[in-house]
Amino acid sequence: MHRCNKILTFVLCSLLFLGCRGDEVIYPTIGTHITDEVREGGLYVLCEGNMGSNKARLDYINLEDGEYYSNWYGAQNPTQLKELGDVGNDLVAYGNRLYAVINCSHKVEVMDAKARHIGQVDIPNCRYLAFHGDKMYVSAYVGSVADADLLGSVFEVDTASLEITREVKVGHQPDELVVVDDKLYVVNSGGYLINRYDSTMSVIDLHSFTELRKVVVGLNPTRLRVDDQKHLWVCCQGNYNQTAPQVVVLQNEAVIQRILTPCSNISIQGSTAYVIDNEQNTLNTISTIDYQLSTFDFQQSPDFENPYGLLATADALYITDAKNYVSSGVLHCFSYDGREHWCARTGDIPGHLCRVTGAYDIHGDTVPEPPTKSPYITRVYEYLPAMGQFVNELPKYEEGDDAQRMCRKCEQAIANNAGGMVSLGGWGGYITFGFDHAVENKDGRDIQILGNAFYMAGSTEYGSSEPGIVLVSCDDNKNGLPDDAWYELKGCLYDDPKTQHHVSRTYTRESDTVQNTFHQHPYYPEWIKTDEYTLTGALLPSQSVVIGGQNIQRILDFGYVDNKPNSDIEGTSFDISWAVDADGHPVSLSTIDFVRVYNAVDEILETTGELSTEVAGAIDLHCNKKLVYPTIIN
Amino acid sequence: MIALCANSVFAIDDAELDSLYRQFQMEEVEVTARALTKDIIVPQALKGIELERLNALSVADALRYFSGIQLKDYGGVGGIKTINVRSMGSQHTAVYYNGIQLGNAQNGQVDLGRFSLDNMDEIQLYNGQKSDIFQSAREFGAAGNVYLTTRKPYFKEDERVHVRAKMRFGSFALANPSVGVDIKLIDNLSMTLDVEYVYSDGKYPFRYKRVFPSGETAYDTTAIRQNGDINAVRTELGLHHYYRTTGFWRLHAYNYYSERGIPGAIVNNVWRNGERLWDRNTFVQGQWQDEWFGRWSTRLLAKYANDFTHYKNYDERLLPADNKYLQQEVYLSLANKVQVFNWWDLSVAYDYQYNTLRKDELVSGVTDERFARHSHWLSAATAFNIKEYLRLQASVLMTQIINQKSEIKNSPKVTPGLFLSFRPYPAIDLSINAFYKQSYRYPTFNDLYYTDLGNANLRPELARQHSVELAYKITNDKSSVANDFGYEIAAAVSYYYNRVTDKIIAYPKGQQFRWTMLNLGTVKINGVDAHADMSFYLPLRFVLRTRLNYTYQTAIDVTNPSDSYYGHQIPYIPWHSGSGVLGLEWQSKRGDRYGFNYSFVYVGERYSQQENIVYNYVQPWYTHDISLYGEWQLRADQNKQPIWLKANVEINNLLGQDFEVIQNYPMPKQNVRCTVAIRY
Repeated sequence: MHRCNKILTFVLCSLLFLGCRGDEVIYPTIGTHITDEVREGGLYVLCEGNMGSNKARLDYINLEDGEYYSNWYGAQNPTQLKELGDVGNDLVAYGNRLYAVINCSHKVEVMDAKARHIGQVDIPNCRYLAFHGDKMYVSAYVGSVADADLLGSVFEVDTASLEITREVKVGHQPDELVVVDDKLYVVNSGGYLINRYDSTMSVIDLHSFTELRKVVVGLNPTRLRVDDQKHLWVCCQGNYNQTAPQVVVLQNEAVIQRILTPCSNISIQGSTAYVIDNEQNTLNTISTIDYQLSTFDFQQSPDFENPYGLLATADALYITDAKNYVSSGVLHCFSYDGREHWCARTGDIPGHLCRVTGAYDIHGDTVPEPPTKSPYITRVYEYLPAMGQFVNELPKYEEGDDAQRMCRKCEQAIANNAGGMVSLGGWGGYITFGFDHAVENKDGRDIQILGNAFYMAGSTEYGSSEPGIVLVSCDDNKNGLPDDAWYELKGCLYDDPKTQHHVSRTYTRESDTVQNTFHQHPYYPEWIKTDEYTLTGALLPSQSVVIGGQNIQRILDFGYVDNKPNSDIEGTSFDISWAVDADGHPVSLSTIDFVRVYNAVDEILETTGELSTEVAGAIDLHCNKKLVYPTIIN
Repeated sequence: MIALCANSVFAIDDAELDSLYRQFQMEEVEVTARALTKDIIVPQALKGIELERLNALSVADALRYFSGIQLKDYGGVGGIKTINVRSMGSQHTAVYYNGIQLGNAQNGQVDLGRFSLDNMDEIQLYNGQKSDIFQSAREFGAAGNVYLTTRKPYFKEDERVHVRAKMRFGSFALANPSVGVDIKLIDNLSMTLDVEYVYSDGKYPFRYKRVFPSGETAYDTTAIRQNGDINAVRTELGLHHYYRTTGFWRLHAYNYYSERGIPGAIVNNVWRNGERLWDRNTFVQGQWQDEWFGRWSTRLLAKYANDFTHYKNYDERLLPADNKYLQQEVYLSLANKVQVFNWWDLSVAYDYQYNTLRKDELVSGVTDERFARHSHWLSAATAFNIKEYLRLQASVLMTQIINQKSEIKNSPKVTPGLFLSFRPYPAIDLSINAFYKQSYRYPTFNDLYYTDLGNANLRPELARQHSVELAYKITNDKSSVANDFGYEIAAAVSYYYNRVTDKIIAYPKGQQFRWTMLNLGTVKINGVDAHADMSFYLPLRFVLRTRLNYTYQTAIDVTNPSDSYYGHQIPYIPWHSGSGVLGLEWQSKRGDRYGFNYSFVYVGERYSQQENIVYNYVQPWYTHDISLYGEWQLRADQNKQPIWLKANVEINNLLGQDFEVIQNYPMPKQNVRCTVAIRY
């Protein structure tokens, strides 16, 4: 039957030029280098995913080498049936383990420190976690037996056996909970009871595991934290109408302070409580000493769409932006002086963060299967454009950016099939990038490099061609950096007598005066500290012609970036076998690690400014994965 | 009547003759067979016998064989099935039942899985609008239109009663009996009665399997779908009266009752859900139409609908829900058309509709919450014929929707439509058709007021459509060809560019019955539809029929360049989709028929969310369905009314592909249906 299926399907699909269905491959884990900053340990990010989508995802950042791994749980547990589950709701590291609440999968996932599955505890509609001794406490919107009054429960779970030991009924839709001394506190939100929210906090005696009393705190309490003076901090969401949201502070179960502020999330570090203001989409701080409310002073407004997850650690402040809740979010790392250090794309609704001491590497022996190679570039090592109209714009330079940061911006634009574009400016400007693996030199073309060239309507001879030359390099010294010998991939004009090899030119900040009306900003790369820099390479002869009053270029036959449209896979692809050394002698390379592209033309057109190679990503054509071409929007 | 003759060239057997007469009667009475009033752009259509040949249980199944359509199917007999025409969203698609729109003021979606094919005579799909100016005002309002037309009674002389009885069995405990009776009460006044029952336990196996890139199995599990049962009864009563040669009136009463489980999404650790849904949809509608002085036509439509939905969640892990919704609708329409000259028609129509929704939701504490809406539509349209070469239609529609409890002042919206058909060589059936149309999709009650999710500040979303079509039809009359070979080929290719702005996206969220509102912004749609119908009349009374459809479309989000999904294909819109049907039929000398039918449906790769990233990637799916049928004339006596017996065996998803149309809603693997029908 299988064979029959294959033949029939093949015939039909090839008739229709359509793709066939293959095996469903496990979701890949993708590592991206996000920062060169070194801190201790790692950070787990639990992305909730939308209800019914089964897209709860646990990402991990190794803070010691700045690698961000999306879907880390998937790499550690590829055989888990239907992955992590539906809607992540809480994440706590306790002991040497990691615990994740997966709300709509009705379970607490128990993992070791590297997020390898140990077991699970089935708890219906579970919400949040607290720990004490060898016990885990889990709040849940429903009890083990349905309750006519719709009261929720707190479950006690033995962390050794992962068995539920006791259960206590609390208020309506209990959310966060904390243990202080021998008491457990849990806030009852009543979040599902629109117009009649709960407003209490249940106090549970840990010995008898009974509810001692309910303390009224404020309407719709969802968050509950404890500071170092054992004061309880409750975030009450109000009723989104007349009753405003507030932060309530309790001492010995008595309210001592009410601070009116939107407070969708809270994290306390030292003597400051950091509170997300989900109305202004910003961050507020409240002093735990004098309860002074102020706005956190960002050095540069982070422009949050929907700030969501929050974690204040001793050395950094992590805030996630859930964006529109149905696309990937962003994790931002700030220092307490308000400076943003890095940011990273996460999964859908990054909600829960957990800093751990372990720094792990995906290539360790723990991974049951080597990670899938990404066909796309993952890393940009260098970016040095020559002066030009799109320099400082594509990607955008912002005050304080350095060369490293510009590389990260290039990665955001073109790595991992992001679909963006980077401009190399005038002649000689270059970018150096690489894959998460070495690219093999096989038969035929090996790498496709995307640009934004296009044909003139009705022609394949003329169009917009801004040719860039490709250099490749092998990481001979194995230091992971592009500081080895470079070889040019010989294009069709290499032997043309009009091509000038070994040209070099110095660009100076002084000469940055030619600006056209469309681009009134410095053309000199602003992140370069020195006042001049020199670029070298070959200079190709001009291919420009004027047809019908339009400046267009003759399309080159082969061997140049941004010369043919991306839809022409062969025309935009390169063969490592074309490599030649500085004297033009062929070089045989079996693999390469780095690719450099530089703008090889020097021309300024009246209408559109200088010809400038644009790079929109690159693809390893031998990666055994289905390629998705990014859509380039011009 | 040119088109009609072409259709009937091969009408050599009783059944074809039967449909010819029916059509004849319909054409004659309804549109008095004047070329000017006919559709200038021929819709995609599936008619009685063609519909019977398809492996289709509901209207939704049949619509898979149209191009330009995307079907959302949550799986099983009871799973919701909605369609999306040319990527504009299901709420831009209007569905008409015998000429009057089926409404759902609550969520704007019509579940086409509920409409049976048993008494369906024809399904038509019009892109833009029906290019016939004599229609109700509201019909000018939607971007895509599906017309469902039920069987009309036709009696030969001396016939008074027709009976059709059908029994269908199938996998997953499907039991589906139906009976239809047509009675001629007096001359030209006839009655139709249809009763159908559907039961299925919905327990189908499904499989989730993932492999390592090396091909090794990561996991592989098969489970049985739970809580997907359905019990539904449909009853319809129709009265048809044709008088003089120009007028007729028709009354139609419809009642549908169902109880079903909502099987829900299959996610980690959850293999069963506890949601139940009870529906009762009732409507009575009437239509009257006549013509005066040979030039003036009037049509009056009226409808009252009463739909009750009861949703309950028994899943003890979730909060119990017990929600009741009652929707009522009153609709009136008056359309007039006057023929000024033989080459120039004018029409004016006015429609009014009143919708109410009453909501009782136990857990959230909402009781007896009521919403109401008044809608007015006023349309003017004109049609010109310039010789046989060019036919032009222009229409303008003014819409005003007044939502009570809404703070938004709704000024009337005016939307134009322009349709033209050019036939360069009248002798050849080749035409170039084009249209431009604007239409609004108004926020539904759920969009506006849904507890927690509703947004009373939603604006209507606007769709602008541009479409060009090249259509060609060629017929080779068998009787005039000595070698006994004939063919009929109709093919069309169209290109369209649509732009939807202020787009409101309904997103299924956990419970199928609920949606979360998302303002996706602006979507740019470019597409090509191609379809071809071919029939070959071969020697020895063999007939070979094929139907091919292919759609390529890009529907990209162009809302905001800073979004991570800017320029990405919107969720669940495949780039490629298509279908093919191949049928071979043989007729014996005494008129018995035997046939084999094969169909293939393909939906290409797509993404389940806005971002086109690997984590949202959804693989293509395709199914192969086959069926075998035979039809026997049990009483061949020429003087007596014939009795026909028909038997049909279908195998769907023949190769048992495990697939999902909507992520985490697995579809059935291979399944079988058998039907026995008797027609008198």
